[in-house]
Amino acid sequence: MSAHHEQHFRAVENLIYEWARAIDEDRVEAIAELLQPEGRYTVQSRFNHDRGLPMAIIDARSAAQLRDRIKSMRVANIYEPHHYRHILSGVQIVGEVDGVLQVRSNFLVVRTMSLDGDMAIFSTGQCHDEVLITPEGPRFKKRLFLYDSRIIETLLVIPL
Amino acid sequence: MPTPAHASPEAVVHGPTPLREKTVRHWPAEGYTRAPYWVYTDPDIYAQEQVKIFRGKTWNYLGLEAEVPEVGSFKTTYIGDQSVVLTRAEDGSLHAVVNRCAHRGNMLCRDAFGQVKKLYCVYHAWNYNLKGDLTHAAFSHGLRGEGGLPKDFQLSEHGLHKLRVATICGLVFATFSNEVEPLEEWLGDVAAGIRRVLHKPLKVLGYDTQRIHANWKTYHENPRDSYHANILHTFYGTFGLSRQSQESGMTLDQNGRHVYFYTKAGTEKKSEDFDKTSAALRSVNDDMKLEDPSILKWRDEFGDGVSVQILTTYPSFVLHQIANSLATRQLIPRGVGESDLVWTYFGFADDDDATTQTRLVQANLAGSAGMISVEDAAVCEMMQKAMADGQSGESFIEMGGKTLESGGTSKLSERAIRNFWHNYRSDMDLA
Repeated sequence: MSAHHEQHFRAVENLIYEWARAIDEDRVEAIAELLQPEGRYTVQSRFNHDRGLPMAIIDARSAAQLRDRIKSMRVANIYEPHHYRHILSGVQIVGEVDGVLQVRSNFLVVRTMSLDGDMAIFSTGQCHDEVLITPEGPRFKKRLFLYDSRIIETLLVIPL
Repeated sequence: MPTPAHASPEAVVHGPTPLREKTVRHWPAEGYTRAPYWVYTDPDIYAQEQVKIFRGKTWNYLGLEAEVPEVGSFKTTYIGDQSVVLTRAEDGSLHAVVNRCAHRGNMLCRDAFGQVKKLYCVYHAWNYNLKGDLTHAAFSHGLRGEGGLPKDFQLSEHGLHKLRVATICGLVFATFSNEVEPLEEWLGDVAAGIRRVLHKPLKVLGYDTQRIHANWKTYHENPRDSYHANILHTFYGTFGLSRQSQESGMTLDQNGRHVYFYTKAGTEKKSEDFDKTSAALRSVNDDMKLEDPSILKWRDEFGDGVSVQILTTYPSFVLHQIANSLATRQLIPRGVGESDLVWTYFGFADDDDATTQTRLVQANLAGSAGMISVEDAAVCEMMQKAMADGQSGESFIEMGGKTLESGGTSKLSERAIRNFWHNYRSDMDLA
């Protein structure tokens, strides 16, 4: 484990930061480039996960489905304008299975509403990621955002 | 600014604070075609709703039988503000009790779900069986002849507050009222919409809770409002899952408390009206295509072509079928300006894996991150903000006509909302 951690830590940490920065800078479309075409992006409550219940509030089973969700956010969905700030910590490569790095990290997302300026912690939890080192650099094979609270404040339309 | 330490005592006005004049509320003369905004913002109204509606003559959804499958299974939930526990007793029967010890009012169950042999209060070890009867109180005879409960104390007189419980097709409802009619009678013709979907044993797939910063009634009106569905929710129209031009209908119960709507996909009828109106609606955007439309692939599992059915019962329950996504929604008020909407996704116990996966993929369409329906919570909150203190203004509810019957079975009607306000005013004694 520690050998993988030493060898790939910087690249993996950077990949996680790239994802968050793309969202925080309103370049959300760019996250789909960081997910392998057949990859999976899931946002699930810890409440469901702990009980072995499979339902997730977001479950994009390909990069194409993630792009569709982003497109829906851009052109179809109605919501009060807001933006996120990701605060990330505790990135660790905890293992490797068949060449896929198993990664854990913590996330905290602050949501700021554009009209009135209200700011609040929107979501916090742990990422369970699977990362592949490809010739183009590291890419997510799977991203699972496990959020700690069983509730979502109002709605989740911008991906975490 | 800090108060100076030497502030003169004369500056403080003593004596009783004059009582706030009791606000006299008058419903607009037009009746149920109007809803005054104070009804969404007044804490006194909210307090009365708890008594007259949630603890009044209504059946409130508690959960699925599948959530309490075994003897000793419990679920902690709410009716209005009141925490309630649903249990399954040794004989398999279902019971609902107020989640509050009969002794000094401590909360009994602290977990959302669990498995117990009895209900137990941690404060003074009062024990209740799974039906809510008191079976034991610690040191009830005192110690060495001292202390203890009075000689005339009867365990049977100090059980938990029990609710009436009834089920339909695996849904569990409870009521505080001894007067409300039996559940199926209360549901009337709307029970058919429940039986159509819930025709065999269920399996829970997971939960999603949305906290909406708006009065519960802004959400309660929403799934009764078939007028908005294809206008606000662009995703529906754009991808052909539901359009106003498709075959659709609506059923209300005999008292207008409950309603369900349905739409049949693939029954698009061209009409001049539709073409003219749709040109002006932002929700019909033929250029927008999904890269991977497999998310919308659905199977007509009930064999009647209905692709969407939204069913609402007064005051706190929704059952949805959106393609093959099935869920209940429980509306829990949390004060005058906040509500939780608890979505319970499920399939059938005998679903094969492919069917389960279809339901899970389509869970992307609804709920707090639902591509179709994120707008609903946003609109509830925007309405609440726009109402401000609620002291002026009222909504206008005449789509489809001005009576409880007008609008018929058309989806382009606010008939179900008029019926809601009619029942609400009657229950709340708001003349």
